[in-house]
Amino acid sequence: MVPVSYNVRSLLVRKVTTIVTALGIALVVFVFAASRMLTEGVNAAMATSGRPDTVIVLRKGSDNELSSGLPMDAVAKLRAHPQVSQAAGAGAIGELVQVVMAPHEGGSGEVSNVTIRGIPEDGIAFRPEVKITSGRAPKPGTNEVVVGKAIAGRFKGFEIGGTVELRHNRPLSVVGIFDAGGSSYDSEVWCDREFMGQTLGRTGNVSSVRVRLNSASDFEAYRREIEGTANKDFAAKVQREADYYRDQSAQIGTFLKFIGMFFAIMFSLAAMIGAAITMNAAVAHRSREIGTLRALGFGRFSILFSFVFEALLLAVAGGVIGSIAVLGLSFVTFPMMNFQTFSEIVIRFHAAPSVFIWSLVFALVMGLIGGLVPAIRASRVSPVEAMRA
Amino acid sequence: MNIATYARRNLFRRKGRTILTMVAIALAVLIFSIIRTVIYEWNRGAEEAAQDRLAIRHKVSITMELPYKYIDEVRATPGVTKATWANWFGAKDPKERIPFFAGFAADQNSFFDVMDEMSVDPKVLEEWRNTPNGAILGDLIAKTFEVKPGDDVTIASDIYPGDWKFKVVGIYKPLRKTVDRNSFIFRWDYLNNSDAVPPPMKDKIGWILARIDDAAHSAQIAKSIDAKFEDHDDQTSAMSERAFQLSFMGGFTAILTAFDYASVGILLILMLVLANAIAMSVRERTHEYGVLRAIGFPPAHIVGFIVGESVLIAVIGGLIGVAMTAGLINGVMGPFLEENMSGWFPYFSTPPYVMGLAMVAAIGVGIFAGALPAYRASKLKVTDALRRLD
Repeated sequence: MVPVSYNVRSLLVRKVTTIVTALGIALVVFVFAASRMLTEGVNAAMATSGRPDTVIVLRKGSDNELSSGLPMDAVAKLRAHPQVSQAAGAGAIGELVQVVMAPHEGGSGEVSNVTIRGIPEDGIAFRPEVKITSGRAPKPGTNEVVVGKAIAGRFKGFEIGGTVELRHNRPLSVVGIFDAGGSSYDSEVWCDREFMGQTLGRTGNVSSVRVRLNSASDFEAYRREIEGTANKDFAAKVQREADYYRDQSAQIGTFLKFIGMFFAIMFSLAAMIGAAITMNAAVAHRSREIGTLRALGFGRFSILFSFVFEALLLAVAGGVIGSIAVLGLSFVTFPMMNFQTFSEIVIRFHAAPSVFIWSLVFALVMGLIGGLVPAIRASRVSPVEAMRA
Repeated sequence: MNIATYARRNLFRRKGRTILTMVAIALAVLIFSIIRTVIYEWNRGAEEAAQDRLAIRHKVSITMELPYKYIDEVRATPGVTKATWANWFGAKDPKERIPFFAGFAADQNSFFDVMDEMSVDPKVLEEWRNTPNGAILGDLIAKTFEVKPGDDVTIASDIYPGDWKFKVVGIYKPLRKTVDRNSFIFRWDYLNNSDAVPPPMKDKIGWILARIDDAAHSAQIAKSIDAKFEDHDDQTSAMSERAFQLSFMGGFTAILTAFDYASVGILLILMLVLANAIAMSVRERTHEYGVLRAIGFPPAHIVGFIVGESVLIAVIGGLIGVAMTAGLINGVMGPFLEENMSGWFPYFSTPPYVMGLAMVAAIGVGIFAGALPAYRASKLKVTDALRRLD
């Protein structure tokens, strides 16, 4: 084995080349990690929205809350089951969901679709993770609303004291901003269900019902009761909340992952060539050294291994620089469209540990591919000829 | 031997390195072109929307519908020559052969008259008017469903419960590439008369498409349509067809911005690779440059050699990249995307200006990448350079 310090010193001696090559790799790792952070952001937003002990009931055949509809009396019927927790802040809540066009702040003329959720009186209590961070909770039965922190300030009127028009001459007035812990609720506006139902002509009807069970293991029994033939009142689809959100995020997640991988692979081709050039030059410069090492008794494999190791070292340096740089994106949000509902969801670049593990693996693979051919060349250097040169 | 010969010979002194560098540049130019093409084509799809048509939708939400009588009021608006309407059906394939397709209910008497870029045989139209559950399909969706005129087809809906059985009466022919070939169009009265549509949802229309007599007056006509419904409960938002499309696609602006950054990112990588290669060559030849200086070549000449070599590599690599772009994007990838993802990219080919931009970028990178090593080499003292051996 050639000592590790030999490789480290070799890299340090050629400072500029080492830095430039590592920066190239760092840029690719940055792109790769950024796309993974975005995918993780989608997952985080969707995963934190779903609780294991909570189910969401939609009309049979609907894939999302927007297109679903259930009769209002279904809420009480869905609650009256032994599996349902009857504690305070639990039970069943029926909600109305609608998307509205909202003009962007700043007069760019752009519009996005924003989700408005009509919640019942106990709608906030049902979700203990939701905190009102500024202003106050809306008074039930009024036109007061709270806005999620991800979209507060992004659209016209989405600030305390601002108004959002739901229908002609029926404005909603914003009284608070809430934080739902990074879940997709953070991209919603919450208003009173009765007010919303009257305004939109949807009284006597809800989009979805959320039901809190006594425990997550009661799900199958509950689903059988609701979806089974015993329930003749309405055709419903019962899903775990977590499963529902996983389906919701599947399309954007796949889309972002595909685009991210495409860029990362294309970019890595260029960076791998950069690494190969650097390592080739290193081998060419050091043929005399390699000959000496061989003459000292290091075998071909030791030389091969040593040069591959050096390439990996270079790649890791790039990987670490790229990973540190990408952390800066944690403060950046990225508005994206949910394909199922055409509505906007604001995603945060999410620095999950797995992002960095994969980034490092990705950097190592680049180093390995870029460094392998030069390392093989190095291992083939004949000691006699090298020393004579 | 003159200076040009010296530069040319230098270029291939390290053949492997030069070739690798050129390949890297060619790849970077290709990637740059792909990214810029995506941005260009994404915007072009919307620009090709008809200029002489307005889309009228509910002001508040895309999911809210307008009263049926609005169509007559729109038709009576000065400047509007024809108008039709359609309702979004939220169509789903029960067998999940396709994840998403546009299914909508339209008026059999006026729809294809207004949407004249979808051509339908008059005999087919006649049959459609006589078949309440008749449907006219795009050629791609018909292929996916393996149906031809005369066949029955069943689809489901995200909005309306139950199985929906239709009889395929014909296939519309797209006269423009921007026409979606995956649309499933059936009769609005069939939907409206169905028991699956509860009374409050009856006699509603999703959106109105109006043809106008003069595209130059579209903003004014849109304003007068919206003014008509200003005092109604259901206000409208009339807009150009392009704006209508963008109101669905608006969520993609951030992606396009990311693409913009990515296209700069690939240029940075390109610069690092090229600068590294040039710096290495220059270092190897320091001794030689000392000799050249000693026999009387001025420093400016050394700069010329090095930057010239860098630009030459960039230009050759760039040309290979442009050739690859023309062959790969315009020859293989473009036709594939146009065929299989026509909803997203009705056109996909790299315009000449993007290729030109890629070449300019490559040359610019060549100059920058050569500049620093060249500057350092020209500032070197002759004696120091001669003392350097490797």
